[in-house]
Amino acid sequence: MQRQTTLGRIVRGTLLTLVGMFFLFPILWVFLMSFQTNQEILRIPPSIFFEPTLQNYHALISGRLETQTGTLEIRFMNNLMNSVILATSSVALSLLLGIPAAYAFARFKFRLGEDIAFTLLSFRFAPPLLVLLPLAIYFQQLGLINTYSGLIWVYQLITLPLILWIVRGYFEDISEDIEHAYRIDGNGWFKTFTHIAIPLAKPGIAAATLLSFIFAWNNFVFALILASADKQPVTVGALAFVTASGIQYGQIAASVVLSVTPTLALALYAQRYLVEGLSLGAVKG
Amino acid sequence: MATEAMTGAVMDGSKRPLMRQVLPYLLSLPALLVCIGILIPFGTAIYYSLQRYNLAFPMTRGFIWFDNYTMLFTDPSFWHTVRVSLLYTLYTVGFELLLGLGIALLLQRRTLFNNIMSILLLLPLMIAPAIASLMWRLMTNPNFGVLSYLAGMVGFTDFRWASAPSSALFTVVLIDIWVYTPFMMVLLLAGLRALPRQPFEAAELDGVPQTFVFFRITLPMLTPYIITASLFRMLESIQQFDIIYAMTQGGPGNTLMVFQVTAYLERYQYTNVGRSAAILMVLWAITFILSNIFIKQWLRLREKARGIA
Amino acid sequence: MSYLSLDQVSKRFKDDIVLDRASLSIERGETVVVFGPSGCGKTVLLRLIAGINEPDAGQIRMGNRDVTYLEPEHRNIGMAFQNFALYPHLSAFDNIASPLKARGMKGGEIEGRVKEVAGLLKIDHVLHHLPKALSNGQKQRTSLGRALAANPGLLLLDDPLRNVDAKLRYEMRIELPRVLKAFETTVIYVTQDYKEAMALGDRVAVLMGGGFKQIDHPSVIYKDPDDLDVARLFGDPTVNVLDGRIADGAVELMGLRFALSGQFEPGPCRVALRPESIEVTLDDTAAGATAIDVGDSVRHGLEVELDAVTPLNVRAVMLLKTEDGRELLATCSEDEASRLPRGHKKVTAHIRASDLLFFTPSGARLRPRPS
Repeated sequence: MQRQTTLGRIVRGTLLTLVGMFFLFPILWVFLMSFQTNQEILRIPPSIFFEPTLQNYHALISGRLETQTGTLEIRFMNNLMNSVILATSSVALSLLLGIPAAYAFARFKFRLGEDIAFTLLSFRFAPPLLVLLPLAIYFQQLGLINTYSGLIWVYQLITLPLILWIVRGYFEDISEDIEHAYRIDGNGWFKTFTHIAIPLAKPGIAAATLLSFIFAWNNFVFALILASADKQPVTVGALAFVTASGIQYGQIAASVVLSVTPTLALALYAQRYLVEGLSLGAVKG
Repeated sequence: MATEAMTGAVMDGSKRPLMRQVLPYLLSLPALLVCIGILIPFGTAIYYSLQRYNLAFPMTRGFIWFDNYTMLFTDPSFWHTVRVSLLYTLYTVGFELLLGLGIALLLQRRTLFNNIMSILLLLPLMIAPAIASLMWRLMTNPNFGVLSYLAGMVGFTDFRWASAPSSALFTVVLIDIWVYTPFMMVLLLAGLRALPRQPFEAAELDGVPQTFVFFRITLPMLTPYIITASLFRMLESIQQFDIIYAMTQGGPGNTLMVFQVTAYLERYQYTNVGRSAAILMVLWAITFILSNIFIKQWLRLREKARGIA
Repeated sequence: MSYLSLDQVSKRFKDDIVLDRASLSIERGETVVVFGPSGCGKTVLLRLIAGINEPDAGQIRMGNRDVTYLEPEHRNIGMAFQNFALYPHLSAFDNIASPLKARGMKGGEIEGRVKEVAGLLKIDHVLHHLPKALSNGQKQRTSLGRALAANPGLLLLDDPLRNVDAKLRYEMRIELPRVLKAFETTVIYVTQDYKEAMALGDRVAVLMGGGFKQIDHPSVIYKDPDDLDVARLFGDPTVNVLDGRIADGAVELMGLRFALSGQFEPGPCRVALRPESIEVTLDDTAAGATAIDVGDSVRHGLEVELDAVTPLNVRAVMLLKTEDGRELLATCSEDEASRLPRGHKKVTAHIRASDLLFFTPSGARLRPRPS
C-alpha cells in the first residue's frame, strides 16, 4: 500500500524504536530492578550490568523483611492471594449470572432486557465512587464491609457488563434455526442452551472471561474503599507496602513484577481476543 | 415414548405454557438484581447530595435541597477541580489520539514484526493503572530513578516530576499516556486494517501523493473509529482516580485535585458526605452526556463490525 | 380423524398479516406439498406446526390432541431447514444421531440407525466430517438424515432443495420420493417450484394471501384451478391469460367464437390457456376464423406470427403474436420446434374450446351452471 523508500524505512525504524522504548522500557527497567539489591539500585549512574539476586522475591514470599531497624512483616503474598480470589470468583460469578442473561437478551428481544443491558452499560461509564461511597455505608450496616462476598458482589460492576455485551454478540451470531433444529430433535430449551448455544459462543465466552479477569485484577478503587488490609488485592496492597517499607525499592519492584505478571501473561496468551474485548465487540480483531 | 412420560404435565398443548413467558425474565433475573443493586446506592447518592451531612457533626444532618450544589458553584476550589479535570482529559485524550494514530499508521501493514510489535505495545494497558503509577514513582525517584537521572543528563538537574506543582500534571499525564495510548493504537489499528482496499489501490494507481491520501481518504474513513475511541477515553479520563491517587493523592497541595480525588478526600478526610456526593453528581452529569453519545457511536460501529463478520 | 389439522390459524408479525385463518388437514402417510409464491407464509406455517412460533389465533391438532402451544421437543416431528441448520460443532454422524440421542436410544442402536439412514442417503462415507467440510449436497442430505433418523410421526421439509445447485435438485427430485416412501412417514413439503410440487405431492395445498386457495391432487390443480392466481402460479411457462366475453353459449376470444358445452353466466370474463394446449402448425389452410370439429371439441385456427423459440429442458417455448398485438406462449417438443420456420413467419395456432379455463374478472373460477 505504501511506497517504501530507503529514507522512509529508516524514519519508520527510528520512530518504532522510540515508540518501543517508551512503552516497553519501564517494564524492563522495573523487572531488572527487582533482581537488584538496594545498594545496586542506588548506584549512580544506573547500570544494566549487575549480579542478579532473588532476595527481594525471597523476602516477599517468606513475608519477612530484615532491615537495620528490625524485622518487617510483609503481607504482600496475602494481597496476591486476595487478588486471585477476588478476580477468579468475580469472573466465575459473572459468567454464571451473565451468560444466561446474555442469552435472554440475544434470543428474546424483550423491553426489560434492553433496559437492563443499557443500565449496566451506562453504569460501566459512571463514576465508580458515586455508587461506592453510599455502598460503603450500606455494607457497614449489612456486615458486608471487608468481606470477600461483598467485594465480589461489587466487582460485578466491572465484570458483568463486559461479559454480558461480548457474549451477547456471539449468541446473536448463532443462527436461530440451529437451536430450533435441536429443539425439534427432542431436546428442551436448557439442553439446547448448554449443548448448542454455549459451545458455539465459546470464543466469545473465552474472550470475555480473560478480559474481565484482567479488569477485575487491575481494579483499585473498589477495594480501597470497601476493604481493609487483610482483604485487599495487590493493587491496593502494593501501594500500602510502599508506604510501609519506605526505601526497600528492590522489594517494591519485585512486588510490582508479581502484581503484573498474571495479567501480562494472560494478555499475551489471549492476544487475539483483546481487540474485540477492549472495544466491547465494536471492532473485530 | 420416554420423553412424553417424563413430562406429562407439559404435554397439554392447548394452553400457552407459563414457562415460555417467564423464561426471559428468569434468565435475566441475576443481571436485574445487580442492576437494582447499583440503582439503590445511586439513589442514595442523590439523596445525600441534597443533605447537610458531615460524619463529624452528625447532629447537623438535614435536608438542604440544592445548597451543596450552590456552595460548590460559588467555591473557587471546585472550579479548580473542574479546570484540572478538563485539562487532564484534554491533554491525555489529545496526545493519546495523536500518538495512537501515529503508531497505528506505522504498524498498518500486516507483517510478522508489526503484529508482534502491536501485541507487545498492548502490555502497558494490561498493567493496573495504580501499579503503573508505582512503576513511575520508582522511575522518577530523585535518588535512583532512571528518569530523574536522564532528566539530569539533559540539564534538568532538579526536575522533581510529580512532587513539584509545576510538573505534577505533566507527570501524571505522561503516565496516563503510557497506560492508555495502546488502547487508542489497537482500536485505530483494527479500524485501519478493516478499511476497504479499493480507494487506496485506485489512489496509488493515479499516483496521488501520500499526504493527500491520508487526509482525504484514510482520515475520513477512520473517523468513526477515532470518535468512538476518543469518547471512550474521555469518559475514563475525566474520572481518572487510580493514577493520580496512587501517584500524589491529589497533591502537591491541590495541584491534581480532579473530580474523583476531590470527592474521595472530601468524604474520607473531611467526612463531608453531602458535599462529596454533590461533586460526584456533577461528574455523573458530565459522564452521562458523554456516555450517551459514546454508546450511540459504539452501537453503530458494533453493528458495522457484525455486518462485516 | 385427520393426522394433523390446522383450524383457522392466524399469525401476524407486527403489522404484517402472514396467515389469516388458514385451515388444512392431512391424513396419515400422505405427502402434502405446500406451494406458494415466496413470502406467502409457507415457512411460518411450518414453524407453527413445528412449535417454533405460536399462532395468534386458531388451533393445531395432531390426532385428537391439541398441540397449538406444545413445545417443539414434545411433538415427535422431524424438520429439514432451507439453510440446513446443521450443528457446526458436531460431525455429520452426531448431527444425524442427535434426535436418536434425545429419544434415549443407546450407543449401538444409534450407530446402526445412523448408518442405515446415511446409506439410504448415500452419505455414509462422510459421516465423520464436520459440516464445514461437507459439500452443499452432502449438507442437504445430512439435514434430511437428521430429520428422518428417528422416524418421526411428521416430517417437515422447508424447501430443502432451494440451496442446492440445479443438477442436485434434479437428482433429488427423483430420489426423494423413493426415500420418503422408505420411511412411510407423513410429510409436509414446502416449495415454490411447481415441478417439485407435481413430482412429490400426493396433494398440493396452494398458499396465497394468508390462506389456502386450493388443496387438491397436483394434476387437478394444474388442469382445474379454482383461481386465476393458482393457474398462473402453477405451470412453467406461465399460463396465457386473455380477456373474453361469454354470450349466447359461446365465448368471444381474440376475434374467435368458441362454442361452450355448458351453461355459463354471460358477461366479461378472463380466459386461461395452458401453453401446451396451443398447437402450432405451418400449414395456413386453416387460417382465419375457421372451426374444425375434432371429436368432443371444436378446434380453432388462429393466424399468428412466430416471434421467438427458446429451448426449455426437453421442450421448446414459442412466443406467438396475434394480429392485434397480443402475445401468447406455446410449447412443443424440441423436435417439432426444429421444424418451425425462423424469423417472424406466419404460422397457425390451434386452440380447443375444451382447453379454455374461465374466470370472473376478479379471478374466481367460472364453472358451468348445473343444468
